[in-house]
Amino acid sequence: MITFFNVSCTFGKEAGVKNINLTINEGEFVFLTGSSGAGKSTLLRLIYMDLFPEKGKVVIRNFDSSKVRSSEIPFLRRKVGMIFQDFRLLEDRNVYENVALSLYVSHYKTREIRQRVYNVLNQVGLGHRVYYNSKELSGGEQQRVAIARALVKEPVVLLADEPTGNLDPRVSSDLMSLLTRINQNGTAVIVATHNYSLIPRVPNARLIQVNEGEIVNPT
Amino acid sequence: MIVLWFLIKEGFRGLWRSNYAGAFSIIIIALSLILIGFGYVAARDTLVMVENIRSQFDITIFIQPKVASAELENFTKELGNIREIERIIYISTDSAAAQFKLEFGEDIFDILDYNPLPPSFTISLKPPARNLISVEEVAARIKKFSIVDEVKYRKTFLQLLEKYQRLIFVAVVSAFIVLTLISIVLASNSIKMTIFSRRNVISTMKLVGATNNFIRAPFMIEGTLEGLIGALIAAIVIGLTFYFFNNYLQSFTGYRAIVSYRFYGGLIGLGSVIGLLGSMRAIRRFLE
Repeated sequence: MITFFNVSCTFGKEAGVKNINLTINEGEFVFLTGSSGAGKSTLLRLIYMDLFPEKGKVVIRNFDSSKVRSSEIPFLRRKVGMIFQDFRLLEDRNVYENVALSLYVSHYKTREIRQRVYNVLNQVGLGHRVYYNSKELSGGEQQRVAIARALVKEPVVLLADEPTGNLDPRVSSDLMSLLTRINQNGTAVIVATHNYSLIPRVPNARLIQVNEGEIVNPT
Repeated sequence: MIVLWFLIKEGFRGLWRSNYAGAFSIIIIALSLILIGFGYVAARDTLVMVENIRSQFDITIFIQPKVASAELENFTKELGNIREIERIIYISTDSAAAQFKLEFGEDIFDILDYNPLPPSFTISLKPPARNLISVEEVAARIKKFSIVDEVKYRKTFLQLLEKYQRLIFVAVVSAFIVLTLISIVLASNSIKMTIFSRRNVISTMKLVGATNNFIRAPFMIEGTLEGLIGALIAAIVIGLTFYFFNNYLQSFTGYRAIVSYRFYGGLIGLGSVIGLLGSMRAIRRFLE
């Protein structure tokens, strides 16, 4: 589903990735681990085409980084869910509006938007917080809103960049359980983290270690 | 339709949340339009005044003395055939003498014992022909008639009038273009501040798969609304100023400013366009 063909992408003197060859299949759960600056986030940004390789190419389903036009990137991002350490919610909107935004951009009808948003919020355990402002929620709840926003468009892959970075251990554990459930429903999940304690929580996950922009344990 | 409604709602929401930056854009647009509006009316009325002066411009044709009446009749017919001529007034020697008395208070016969004033024609031209080229052309054609002694018109005056009219026109058009461009740039810069404060909205929209048009639309709606509100403020200020001027100062100045609903419509349209173009210019950098 996602293939890196000899990808190099650098910015600055140290950051970036070098000669990455990697395939991630549908429905996989993958941990990208490594220290800060190892290149984990770069790999994720290459997948949602926020960055483009200087060498090689990344292919996500039928989107090829070497051929894709900038006008096609939004359509790729509708297939890729993303969550971040800082949640990236719109603070001036409530939970419903934050989640529904993903569907408005894809031109869904109001009735379907409402149905999907309520379903996904129930799925992430926020059915009782629909009309709360995102600022009124705890960190764990905000991250679940971000997950709901990513999930509501039924992505083929969910990318999580240090998703537990701002959360306490108990909430992090709940979040990993939620990501595991999402994965069991068929969505591929890629988690970039330097928190190694998360890894044992997903027994079947594939572990990819990144160090100084290179994959240490190629499989 | 749902998307359109969503985008319009987002545009209004953006305007509501833009606070000081939005208010600043509105004030900038309003001030520019007030300048443009007053400038337009002043220039328009100056040009109307110049046109009025021009309409009073005429050509005097002096006829040779002792011309037979048949010849005069024939010449009058010939003048009537000249397309550019709007009005012909014949002034006989007797009428000229009467006019002399009226203007100078003395009878010509008391001074000279005879009437030296020749018969003449005063002609005025149709509006399109009231310019130096046409006047010279008509005058040249008239001069060719044998009964014509002299053709007189105020050439220097007409030259000056044309020169200043052109100057006023160029000045007005240039001021309009410059002011409009300045307002677009200023509005765009203040809208850019609004957009900058909401760059996280743009990046989130990009992340969830919004196209550039989808991101752009609410900001364009917001910019247009800011332009519209700025224009409404300008229209109210201009309207009230003219109301005050016409009701309280007209007796002192003798000038009455008349503006139609079309003027206000144009002002509102221009404000909206300034807001729209300003926001398009501002958002462009955030979408690159």
